[in-house]
Amino acid sequence: MRARLASWVVYLTSATIGVIAFLYPFFSSTLSDEAAMGMEHANDAPLLLTVLIGICFGALLVEAQAQAGSAKMIALLGVLVSINAPLRFLEVAVSGPGGFSPIFFLIVTTGYVMGGRFGFLMGALTLLVSALITAGVGPWLPYQMFTAGWIGLSAPACRPLVRLVRGEGTWREVAVLALFAGAWGLVYGVIMNLWFWPYAVGPQEQHWQPGTQWTDGIARYAAFYLATSLAWDAMRLAGNILLMFVFGLPTLRVLRRFQQRFTFTYQPVEQAGV
Amino acid sequence: MIIFRDVSYTYPGAARPALRHVDFHLPEASFALVVGRSGAGKSTLLRCVNGLVPHFSGGTFAGRLAVAGLDPLYATPRAMSRRVGFVFQNPEAQFVLDRVEDEIAFALENAAMPRQEMRVRVEEVLDLLDLAALRERKLETLSGGERQRVAIAAALAFRPRVLVLDEPTSQLDPQSAEDVLNALVRLNHDLGLTILLAEHRLERVLQYADRVIALPDSPDGENGVLCGTTREVLPQLKLLPPLVALAKQLNWQPLPLTTKEGLHFSRALTEHILPVLPVAASPRYGAVGLALQRVWVCYDRQPVLRDVSLEVRRGEILVLMGRNGSGKTTLLKTLVGLVRPESGRVWVDGREVTGEDVATICRRAGYLPQEADTLLFADTVRQELEITLRNHGLPEHDEAIESLLAQLGLTAHAGRYPRDLSVGERQRAALGAITVTQPVALLLDEPTRGLDYTAKEALSALLRHWRDAGMAILVVTHDVEFAARTADRVVLISQGELIAEGVPAKVMGASPLFAPQIARLFPGRGWLTVEEALRGLGVV
Amino acid sequence: MIHPLAWLIWLAAELAVLSATRNPLYLASAIACTAIVLLRLRGRVVDAPTVPLSPLRFGLVVLPLAALFNALTVHMGRTVLLRLPTPLPLLGGPITLEALTFGALNGLALTGIYAAFIVLNYAVAVRALVGLIPRAFFPVAVVTSIALTFVPVTLRHWRQIRNAQAIRGHRIRGLHDWLPLFLPLLIGGLEHAFQLAEAMTARGFAGAAETVPMRRARTVIAAGLLTLLAGWVLWLAWQQRAIGIPLMALGGGMVVASLWWLGRQVPRTTYRPTHWYPRDTVIALASGTAAAAFLVAWPGWDRSSIFFYPYPALASPGFSGWIALALGGLLVPALLIPPTRYLSLFQSAWANRAILKRDASVQEGQAVTGSPSGIATVAMYPSEAAYPSTPTGEPR
Repeated sequence: MRARLASWVVYLTSATIGVIAFLYPFFSSTLSDEAAMGMEHANDAPLLLTVLIGICFGALLVEAQAQAGSAKMIALLGVLVSINAPLRFLEVAVSGPGGFSPIFFLIVTTGYVMGGRFGFLMGALTLLVSALITAGVGPWLPYQMFTAGWIGLSAPACRPLVRLVRGEGTWREVAVLALFAGAWGLVYGVIMNLWFWPYAVGPQEQHWQPGTQWTDGIARYAAFYLATSLAWDAMRLAGNILLMFVFGLPTLRVLRRFQQRFTFTYQPVEQAGV
Repeated sequence: MIIFRDVSYTYPGAARPALRHVDFHLPEASFALVVGRSGAGKSTLLRCVNGLVPHFSGGTFAGRLAVAGLDPLYATPRAMSRRVGFVFQNPEAQFVLDRVEDEIAFALENAAMPRQEMRVRVEEVLDLLDLAALRERKLETLSGGERQRVAIAAALAFRPRVLVLDEPTSQLDPQSAEDVLNALVRLNHDLGLTILLAEHRLERVLQYADRVIALPDSPDGENGVLCGTTREVLPQLKLLPPLVALAKQLNWQPLPLTTKEGLHFSRALTEHILPVLPVAASPRYGAVGLALQRVWVCYDRQPVLRDVSLEVRRGEILVLMGRNGSGKTTLLKTLVGLVRPESGRVWVDGREVTGEDVATICRRAGYLPQEADTLLFADTVRQELEITLRNHGLPEHDEAIESLLAQLGLTAHAGRYPRDLSVGERQRAALGAITVTQPVALLLDEPTRGLDYTAKEALSALLRHWRDAGMAILVVTHDVEFAARTADRVVLISQGELIAEGVPAKVMGASPLFAPQIARLFPGRGWLTVEEALRGLGVV
Repeated sequence: MIHPLAWLIWLAAELAVLSATRNPLYLASAIACTAIVLLRLRGRVVDAPTVPLSPLRFGLVVLPLAALFNALTVHMGRTVLLRLPTPLPLLGGPITLEALTFGALNGLALTGIYAAFIVLNYAVAVRALVGLIPRAFFPVAVVTSIALTFVPVTLRHWRQIRNAQAIRGHRIRGLHDWLPLFLPLLIGGLEHAFQLAEAMTARGFAGAAETVPMRRARTVIAAGLLTLLAGWVLWLAWQQRAIGIPLMALGGGMVVASLWWLGRQVPRTTYRPTHWYPRDTVIALASGTAAAAFLVAWPGWDRSSIFFYPYPALASPGFSGWIALALGGLLVPALLIPPTRYLSLFQSAWANRAILKRDASVQEGQAVTGSPSGIATVAMYPSEAAYPSTPTGEPR
C-alpha cells in the first residue's frame, strides 16, 4: 500500500516538475526579480532544467525498473527495444512524411498491454538505443527519453476507456488507442521543440519589459511552432493513427498471446521432504 | 550425480503431462545422450536438471530430484547455475553482450566475482574451448559452431560439474557440429565433466556417449524411461541410425557403434558375395521443370556461382550437396529471383524468368528457405495457406486446401496457432504455405534441420509422393542419410562450380565425405540404405 | 583511450560555457576548441560512426534561422533595419540589427552544443556509454546491452522475413502490406526473448527481490521529489528564493543519495577494466576550470565580459585574457588523444571515405526543417556502417 502510494507520488510529482520545466521558458521572463538583476545574471535556466529533468528521470527509472526486474521482463524489453529502435531507419528510408515515426506504435501497444512501467522503459530505452546506434546522442536525447517514456507510462490510461466502450479485441479498442497515439504524436512534437527554446530565446531579460505577460512567450512559441513544426508534427499524428488502425488488432493479439507465457509463475506443491 | 525419482511435470495450461514418472540415476563423469521423438519431453527433462522447470516455466511438478548434491526444486535456478551449465539450441538467442570475452564474463560479473578471479576463469574456458584466438571478436562475426562454443564456454565459467545441452548442433552444418561435439568429448574425457546431451542425429554422437536415456514416444505410453549403457538401451529403440539398425537386423554382437567396428562384421559377410556394379537408374523423361544455363552470380565482385548449368526435370528429386559457402543457397535463390545472376539464363517451368518479380516466379516454383519459421505469422495453419492464395490473387477452394492439409498430415492442426506446433509440423505448415499455389517445381533449403528420424521419413515420403505426381524437386542438404533415401540424382558443388553429377549410388558411394554409413560399411557395392543392404545381402 | 567519464566532464563544461555566455568572442573560441578536438578525433577512431548531420551543416541551417526568428519576433534595439506594418500580430514592428545579432548568437551557441555532442558520439564507444549508466539502473543497463546485441539479429531477421514473404507472393502495395513483414518480426522477437530469458536464468541471472530497506529508499525518493517540487513552487510562485532554493537542494539531494545507495545494493563487478589515467585527471581539471570561470562569481574575478548584451545598441564585446585562458582548457583533450595503431589508421581512412560519400548524398531538403525535433529525427541514416563499435585500438 505504502509502496503504491510512493509510486503515485513519484509519477505525479515528476509529471508536475516536468510540466513546469517545459513551461519555464514562458513565465521565466515575468519573474521580475530575476530580470531586474539585469546584466549580472547568467542564463542558467537550461542547466537548472536539465538537472531537474535528470532527477525526475532517475526517480521514474528506478520506479519503473522495480517491476521489470526479472530475467523474463529484461529479456523481453531488450528484444522489443531492438525491434523498435531500428525502425527509426525507416524514418529516412520512407522519406517525405514529415515527423512520422513508427516507433510510437510499439511503445503505446506494449505499454497498454504489459503495463505502464514496462511502457515507460520501452519508450525511454527505444529512444536511447536508437540514438546510440545512429550516433544521434544529442542535447535533445534526455527530453526525448523522458517524453517517450511518458507515452508508454500513460498508455494504460486507455484501459478504463476501452472497458467503457466494451471494446476489448474489437476496432473500438483500436480506435481508443489510435486517438491516444495521435494526441501524443502532436504533444511529443510540441515538447521536443522546447529543449532548445531557452537557447532560441536567450537570457530572459531580452524580452522583459514592463507589462510583459507570460502569455506573450506562449504566443511567440505558438507562432514559431505553427511556422516551423505543425505540418511536420501533423504527419506524426496521422501516421500514429494510421499505424494503429492497420497494425493494432493483430499486434495486440500477438502481445496478449505471449504475455501469458511471460508471466507464468511456479507455486510449489506441498510434498514430502526430500 | 543426477537422480530423478518418479518425476512428473505438467506445463501450465497443458492437458497432459510432459513427463510422467521419470526415474533414473546418472553416475558422475558420464556422457549421456537423451533420445526420443520431438515432443517426447527431452527439453523438459533437461530443464529439470537446473531448475528452469518448474521455476521458470511454472506448472505442476511432482517427484524428487538431486543434481550435484542439490535439489533443483528447492534451490533456485540461480543457485543451480553454479553446478549446472546449460547450452540452448539457438546460437542466436542466448547472448546478452556482443564480444566473446564479455559474454563469457557476464554471469561472473553478476555474481560479483572479484576481477582477478574472473580473469582466471575466462582464460581457463577460452583455452578449454579453443577460443583464445577469437577472444576480441564480435559474436555476430562468428560462425554458428563458434558461437555454440562460446555458449559452452559461458556455461562453464562457473566451473559447473554438469553440462546440459539441448540439441546444440541442430542449427549447425556438419563441420561446425563436429567441432562442437569434439569439444564436448574433450571436456568429458579431460575434466570428467558430466554431460547430458539431447540430439537427433544419433549417427554422429552415438560413438561418444556411454549412456543413453530414452524417452518413450508419449509420456502416457506403457514403457517408462530407459536408462543404461549405450549397448544396453540401443536394441530396445525403434528409431536408430542406419549402422545400428542394420546391425540389429543382422544380429551383430556386440552392437557396433562406429564404422570401424561395423566393418569387422561386414567384411566377413561380403567376402563371398561378388561385387555388383551399381546400375544407373532409368532416366526419367519429364519436361524440364527448372533450368540454369551458364549462370554467373557475384557478391561484391566475388563470384559465388561460376558458369553453372543445371536441369531438374519434372518427376525427379535432385539433391545438391556441398560444403558451407559453396553456393548452394545462392543457386536456389537465383532460381526464384531473390538473387539476380550477372550473366546466364534461368528457366522455371519452361519460361525464362528474366524480368519477373519473385512473387510471379514463386507461383510456379515453391521455395522453402532455411528459416522456415519466418514464413509463418497468421493465427491458424489454414489461414497461412489462404494468405498465400490471396497474395497471388488465386481463388480459395476449400477442397484444394483440405486435400493439401491432409497430404501434409496437418488436418488435425488446421485451426492451431502455427508457432505452437512442433518443428516438423511447423515446417510442414510452411511447406503448405508455399505449395498451395500448386507449383510445378519445389526448392528446399536444408529441410532436415532439427527434425527427428520420424519427421525426416515423413518428409522424404511426402517429397517422393509429389515427385510421382510430376513435380520437379531440388533439395539442398548436408544430411547424407536423408539424401541417400530421397535423391534420384545427386549434384556436388564446390566453390560455385558443379563438380560431380549422377545417381546417388555413383556420386555418394564413392565420396568419403558424402558417403552414408551403409556405403562406408560396404564400399564399392552401391548400397546406400539399410533396405538396399539387406536386399543385396539376400536377407530380405 | 581517454576515459568516458573524462569525456562526459568535458561535455558538461562545454555545455555550461555555451549556455552561460553570448559573447561572440567566447562562443567562437569554445566552438573552435570543439572543432579542433573533433578534427583530431576524426582520423583516430576506428569504425567511426556515421554522423547524421555535420556540425557545419547544422550551423548553416540553424544560425540564419535563429537570427531571422529573433529579428522577426523581438522588436528591441536602436539600429532599425526596416519596419513591418504594426497590424501584423507578433511580427509587426521594427526589425533591428541588435535582435538579428542576438538571434545569430543564440544559433551559434546551439551549433556549439551540437558539435560538442558529435564529439561525444565520436570519442566514446557505444558500449562504453552503456557502461556509464549508474549502477542504480542496473536492469536498464542490461536491457540496453541486450537491445544493442540484438539489433544486428533483428536486422538479419528482417531481411529473411522480406525474402520469405516475397516467396509467398507478397508485394508491398500499401501500408497494409507491411503487416506480413512486421508481425513475423515481432513474433520471432518474442520467441527470441523467451529463449534469451531462459538462457539468462540458466546462467544465474535473477532479478533481485526487493528488500525492506530498498522499499524505504524508494519512499525517500518520492519524498525527495515532493520537497523539490515544493521548493521550486515557492521560488517561482512567491519568489521565496531563500527558502525555495535550499528546499530544492535538499529534495534533489535526497533523490540522488537514495539512487546512490540503491546502486551500492547491486552486487556486481566488472570484467573489462576502464583505467583512469593521469591524463584523464588533467582533462577533468582543465574542463572544470573553464566551466568555473564562467559559472562561479569568484571574489575579484571580473566576469562582466561574459554577459554580452546587444541592447539597446550594438557595441563591441568585452574580452578578458584570463577568461580566454581558462576557456583554453576545453582544448586539452585534443592534445591528449593517444595515437592509434597503423592498421586502425588505414581502416579509418576507408571508413572516412565511405562517410564522405554518404554525406554527399544527404538530401538537402530533409535537413532544412528548422524544427530541432525534425533535425533529431531526420538525422537517422540507413546504413550498416551506422553501428559504431568499440575501437579496437584500445590498450589492454
